[in-house]
Amino acid sequence: MTPILEVRALSKQFRSGGVLHPSRLHAVDDVSFALTPGRITALAGESGSGKSTVAKLILRLLESTGGELVFDGRDVTRQRRRRGMLEYRSQVQMIFQDPFGSLNPAKTVRHHLARPLRVHGIAGRRDVGVRVEALLEVVGLVPARKFADAYPHELSGGQRQRVAIARALAVNPKVVIADEPISMLDVSIRAGILNLMRDLKELGIAFLYVTHDLASARYVADDILVMYAGQIVEQGPVDEVLASPLHPYTRLLIASVPDGERTLEPIEIRKGTAAAAVDPPPGCRFVDRCPLAIDVCGRETPELVETEPDRIARCHVTAPRQREDQLHAQPAA
Amino acid sequence: MTLTLDVRPDVVEAGASPVVALQDLVVDYVSRLRTTRAVDGVSLSIGAGEIVGLAGESGCGKSTLGNAVMQVLRPPARISSGRVLFDGKDVAGHSRSELRRYRWRNVSMVFQSAMNSLNPVMRVGDQFVDMMRAHERVSKKDALVRAGELLELVGIDRRRLRAYPHQLSGGMRQRVVIGMALALRPELVIMDEPTTALDVVVQREILQQVRELQAELGFAVLFITHDLSLLLEIAHRIAIMYAGEIVEEAPAASLRTDARHPYTVGLLGSFPPLHGPIERLTGIPGAPPDLSAPPSGCRFHPRCQYCTGEDVALHARQVGERPKLQVVSPGHRVACHRETP
Amino acid sequence: MSQLQPTIELAPVLPPARRARVRVPGWLLMLLRNPKSRAGLVVLGFMVIVALIAPLISVSDPTAFSLVDARQAPSWHHLFGTTDQGSDIFSQVVMGARRSLMLGAASGALATLIAATLGILAAYSGGIVDDAINFLTNVFLVIPTIPLLVVASSYLTSRDMKSMILFLALTLWAFEARILRGQALSLRNRDFVLAAKVAGESTWRIVFGELVPNMISRIAAGFVLVFYISLLVDAGLEFLGLGDTTHVSWGMTLYWAQTNSAVLQGEWWPFLFPGLALVLTVLGLTLILAGIDEVSNPRLRDEVRVRRRLLRGLVLPLRRAA
Repeated sequence: MTPILEVRALSKQFRSGGVLHPSRLHAVDDVSFALTPGRITALAGESGSGKSTVAKLILRLLESTGGELVFDGRDVTRQRRRRGMLEYRSQVQMIFQDPFGSLNPAKTVRHHLARPLRVHGIAGRRDVGVRVEALLEVVGLVPARKFADAYPHELSGGQRQRVAIARALAVNPKVVIADEPISMLDVSIRAGILNLMRDLKELGIAFLYVTHDLASARYVADDILVMYAGQIVEQGPVDEVLASPLHPYTRLLIASVPDGERTLEPIEIRKGTAAAAVDPPPGCRFVDRCPLAIDVCGRETPELVETEPDRIARCHVTAPRQREDQLHAQPAA
Repeated sequence: MTLTLDVRPDVVEAGASPVVALQDLVVDYVSRLRTTRAVDGVSLSIGAGEIVGLAGESGCGKSTLGNAVMQVLRPPARISSGRVLFDGKDVAGHSRSELRRYRWRNVSMVFQSAMNSLNPVMRVGDQFVDMMRAHERVSKKDALVRAGELLELVGIDRRRLRAYPHQLSGGMRQRVVIGMALALRPELVIMDEPTTALDVVVQREILQQVRELQAELGFAVLFITHDLSLLLEIAHRIAIMYAGEIVEEAPAASLRTDARHPYTVGLLGSFPPLHGPIERLTGIPGAPPDLSAPPSGCRFHPRCQYCTGEDVALHARQVGERPKLQVVSPGHRVACHRETP
Repeated sequence: MSQLQPTIELAPVLPPARRARVRVPGWLLMLLRNPKSRAGLVVLGFMVIVALIAPLISVSDPTAFSLVDARQAPSWHHLFGTTDQGSDIFSQVVMGARRSLMLGAASGALATLIAATLGILAAYSGGIVDDAINFLTNVFLVIPTIPLLVVASSYLTSRDMKSMILFLALTLWAFEARILRGQALSLRNRDFVLAAKVAGESTWRIVFGELVPNMISRIAAGFVLVFYISLLVDAGLEFLGLGDTTHVSWGMTLYWAQTNSAVLQGEWWPFLFPGLALVLTVLGLTLILAGIDEVSNPRLRDEVRVRRRLLRGLVLPLRRAA
């Protein structure tokens, strides 16, 4: 299937430090990937990796400092006109992390769902009510009428998050970005939301699932992108990446997840400060913590290299340039 | 310093005289409109050098329990009945000075956003000194030396004493707080969601640190968290809390393979597996009850897959009678009507 | 789109349906329940009622001269006594209540409107808009209220209520704007505001539809604050002699009492009653303010309750001992 949203070499730098010691934070650095309808892509990384910034850039809540955003074949990077933005906003939606924070405490559920319907002209005043209740049924909040009249504080965390999902679905979006949608929910409620997301794939929506939790990424997503210090360090189908990770950081992440059954062999983790994405020098940003680091890692920033079909990593050791050349040099059968 | 990841600790036998024992503890939140019973008759004992995990979701009362042990409950919360015993003595009977000694020398606590509870305008070293001098007669110089030792104990360079909290990363701040909790060599450290706000790699480092410290210094830990998978790795014994009660208590190894209470089973089935086959997660339908008006009988019955009404006698007990904790195997207790024929 | 089955049958965790018999606004109920604001509302309500029925209970012309009745102490005929010119002070006080309350409410409303619009807009828009509004706010903050009014009143030909309202609003909005901007800033990055933006809402709808409803208590508090400051400033100016001498108001009554050396003559009533009216109104407003504070900050509520219990614990034994 053709991708609906393409991110090309997207960058975002923040200036800080004041006049005397100006510095740039490379929050997002040369990030490229594509979202395809009917597939869930996980964007995994820890805090400071830039994953939430990528989400905000896609939603145009922040302006990028480099790169392009192509939606449905159109370049929307610099789109500023109200009509264009409104159209984009009706196609690309977001589910936030905090189920309570993302709902206005002073408004009913009905208001939250009706507003997008009205703003984008999807429903007139007469059929808004019917639409609202239909949406609530899709996300499993029945009886719909009771939930429509409720205020956020009357609902549980899981129910609020379902309202947030319903709100995102109200405009029939093509892309939905979910930013850590379950991390603030109770454990037993998370399953319901994850299952809902899996089911919504059938509607042909392209999901971007931003998370730091690899286990839920595996459960829900088809592909995974691992980010570190603003860069993508590994990319590929989720099962393959988690079963045989290429990048040392991915290995570190996998090994750190609390897992009742420890099936992976213990690996050595070297402690060090996280490579700052502030004025980064040339070289791999993971070099201070990497157990596999060799000489070149401190001098040259590794490029993303495709070692096998669909398996991409940014590492001099596990994904060196030659492998990609070998891959492409193989004669067609 | 290198970290190695190893397997769970061996099961530790709880000593004959526990460090802290809760007997039928009841904690209420009293307001004009209603009284909410956050902890309803909990009995739990923690042996010397034992890591006891307390797992439960939001609103189950686990944090209230931790605060009750620490004797830091503030109105409108209060202990309505039951006892908190430390070394056999009831803490409620302590005088004010004894209570001050109790807090931090005998039992200390690490809170969830503890790293935010550091004073942002004081250097880390000064905060250590402040805390130590509040409990002991020690000169500033000696206190600083001790503080430096404590920092090294938790794996932070001694020179960081002069740093302000914002100059340290989240993980380092949490380690500072753990160091402060250990400063007076308490017998029990209560940790309430100490790693929830931290990244998974930092969390792994902190847990490793805690285990090493615990092995070296021999203190007991009451580890309160919602993340059961964490406890399965780090705890000796785990207690599962639901709606103010303990519904199951077992050694960590037994809990994973032989969980009996439907809530525990549901919890265990809520964690998507990192390896192995992926089956559809079931979670647990419904939501935790409102503690000001909990369900009658077994509090879990509205959400329980075994409460069907097929067996009329069982159903009557499930909705009418509160199940009591019963021993099902050595060290393993469950509060479930299905366990009693 | 409703082809999907609901994934989990959830029993809705909702309280029983609200019984809507009498439509009393929620905020009013909350203020009535809190003892401080209840007292404040009673006091203010009393003053409002007095102002409303003022024409019925006062003499036809409160400023009428009557040398026969001059300088009389309070009596059944003149409840609050008379001025040195024989005017009935009671009438002056109750008619003056009209002016004071209207003035306070109007300038409070106007100042709050300006402060809320500019402050919240500045916080939400950021950038140049924020800088411009901040500059404007700073300029107005620096202007000292009373000296400005003193100077302006010497230039103004008409000192009618409209100009007073305008002046008071223009000098008092800046303080509130700064506070509301601060609060809006903290709300701006909350997810529900971002969600509204992502949903495509326009800036104005976000400011008035999302931010303002969550700031009502602070805005209301600001209104009450400007209300009583206006009262005091207006009375103060009139007392200093800068008011319109044809007006009937508390300040003017005090002014006349001052210029006619009432105190030197041992006449306490021209001072006491208008002063009392002023104090009572301000007290009522302050109590309402305290109540709003307590209602909007739940933590304060608990502390107050504990303090009250402690106090009762102290007072009871004392009573028993006595």
